[in-house]
Amino acid sequence: MLLDSLLARRLVVLTGKGGVGKSVVGAALALAARERGKRVLLVEVAAPLEASRRLGGPPSRGRETEASPGLFTLNLEPQTVMDEYVRHVVKLDLVARRVLASPIYHRFFAAAPGLKELMVLGKIMVLEEARKSVSREPVWDLIVVDAPATGHGLAYLKVPLAASRAVPVGPIGHNARRVLRMLRDPARTALVLVAAPEEMAVVEAVELHRAAEGDVGIEPQAVVLNGCHERRFSDEDEAEILRLASSGATGDIEPGVPLEAAVRAARRQVRRRKLTRFYRDRLRRSLATPLVSLPFLFRETLGVPELRLLARALEAA
Amino acid sequence: MAPRLSPAATLEKALAERRVLVTCGSGGVGKTTTAAALALRAARNGRRVLVCTIDPSRRLATSLGKGQLSGRPRAIEMRTLAPARGGALFAMMLDVKGTFDALVARHTPDPAARDRILKNRFYQHISAALAGSHEYMAMEKLLELTQDERFDLVVLDTPPTRHALDFLEAPDRLLAFLDVGVLRFFLRPYFVAGRLTMKVATRTGAALLKIADRFMGLQFLQELSEFFLAFEGMYDGFRARAAEVHALLRAPSTGFLLVAGPQPQALEEALFFHRRLAEKRMSFVGFLVNRVHTDPARERGARRGGRVVLDPELAALLATTLREQQVLARVERRAIARLQVDTRERPVLVPELEQDVHDLRGLATFAELVFGTAPERVAAGATR
Repeated sequence: MLLDSLLARRLVVLTGKGGVGKSVVGAALALAARERGKRVLLVEVAAPLEASRRLGGPPSRGRETEASPGLFTLNLEPQTVMDEYVRHVVKLDLVARRVLASPIYHRFFAAAPGLKELMVLGKIMVLEEARKSVSREPVWDLIVVDAPATGHGLAYLKVPLAASRAVPVGPIGHNARRVLRMLRDPARTALVLVAAPEEMAVVEAVELHRAAEGDVGIEPQAVVLNGCHERRFSDEDEAEILRLASSGATGDIEPGVPLEAAVRAARRQVRRRKLTRFYRDRLRRSLATPLVSLPFLFRETLGVPELRLLARALEAA
Repeated sequence: MAPRLSPAATLEKALAERRVLVTCGSGGVGKTTTAAALALRAARNGRRVLVCTIDPSRRLATSLGKGQLSGRPRAIEMRTLAPARGGALFAMMLDVKGTFDALVARHTPDPAARDRILKNRFYQHISAALAGSHEYMAMEKLLELTQDERFDLVVLDTPPTRHALDFLEAPDRLLAFLDVGVLRFFLRPYFVAGRLTMKVATRTGAALLKIADRFMGLQFLQELSEFFLAFEGMYDGFRARAAEVHALLRAPSTGFLLVAGPQPQALEEALFFHRRLAEKRMSFVGFLVNRVHTDPARERGARRGGRVVLDPELAALLATTLREQQVLARVERRAIARLQVDTRERPVLVPELEQDVHDLRGLATFAELVFGTAPERVAAGATR
């Protein structure tokens, strides 16, 4: 259901507080779309540790790189996008090289606030609009963008609006407006907020929702609550666990499983699942946006098998 | 050489002696909470502390249990946590636009020049709305705050790692950006002539002009050149400020605390940041690894013994639950050990809290977990 609605667009932008697992959710979403037969591109912005690592592919080095059949990753470095643009504008290689080496270029173009963000968004727009040469079909069925963490993620989304206001005429304003139109068009773009069942992540998701709608004019289409702990013990079991905890009983319940440690672990599980419920309820009360829960994974690594689990949870939502 | 202090003692010493403590790290690791908790700790130990967040997502307010913080330092009422004497806690959030405006006002020769900048449309938009100006202004504010007599310690919270690096480089980039002398040679002609007729001496200059025109258009360049011309008289003032910031960040009275989560990826980023600090000759105070999951079987009181017979289904669920948490603890333990080997630094470890921290009491509890004890003056405070 949720996936149907998201996949009706060709651009999904994920944002949320740092550390909530945005990049993992992005990779899982890309995988889920791929399993539906879509040709998918997962875009990150200056990610220090790329999603391609989790997806088993080679690092993208600034190009669309196939991690597995039909699933591509791209890690955009703003400076590289900018340099690429320069080469595109200045056709002569020698001159382009001189420009790129020039201190003025680095001092001004590289330092101008907002310019890099706009370039990155422009590049994403180019990817979204790319068509195959003969069939004129879109090159990408789905582009998933893992935007930088909230404060800056929102700053990213605010750039086109700010730029179009700062420079209403001319190419920069024109392009900023095109990007903004794409982001605001619910038929083309879905904004997804990622949160975790924690106080600050939830506060921030609610704040971000308000700002995205109010300041930028983009209505978020879904909230993904990542790292959820669900109910494992029945009420009777939970009562029994409490009783065991206070009884002071010791011994092993299975070989190598001491009762006290297991009870301590169980009480932690219960506390975490209550926190999950509390924060999920709060998100539901604060936002009318559809909410999807993804489980917390207790795994040694986070690779393709773990991402598949999450992809399946997204598919089932 | 003096014997090495424990990581917590090193941190306590920094809180007692330094004038600036910067908390850095990637997103979601509890930097803001750490900054606020350490500030509270220092205040309870008798210092006059300001905690300032430059994070545009405004999280500090939540952990201080108050509504919105503003761009001006505000005293935080510590009530039962109040120190015996002297200590005070202030909190604020960076106001980017306000700081930029104040900076302009300070460096412009007269109100007319000031207004020319403040009313410039390009200025109005870059100074508030865009990513990047946060870091520029945070540094400016930090300088101002350390010169404020009301505070003897400023604890500065920062945006996530990548941006925290931007933040350290902000003064240099601001200078580069505003260096009118370099820019004028291709911007001024637009301003003066108002159309694209001028000749540029070099081919590189011509190509730059072409890019600028293609990408931004004439009107933008006009606005921009007005902006830079307005800034022209201020450049020396800015350069002096930036040099001061540069010195402040490298002063022995400034320290950097790297905060990380216990996951392998978070610790890799902390390692990366550690290297960068050394390259920049900035003073590293320590690592703080937050929300560490402990192995329930390794904790106090987990005795082994004879067999306990439970309902088999419950026993199986309990065993699974324990094993899951043991996996988590093991992954984190290994990652922390690796960090220790790579950096030869022992981190302060803070276990996951039972409750989310979002008030002063929670911050005090957090600090007690970091240092193992309540602040020394609390006992004295009780007899007051």
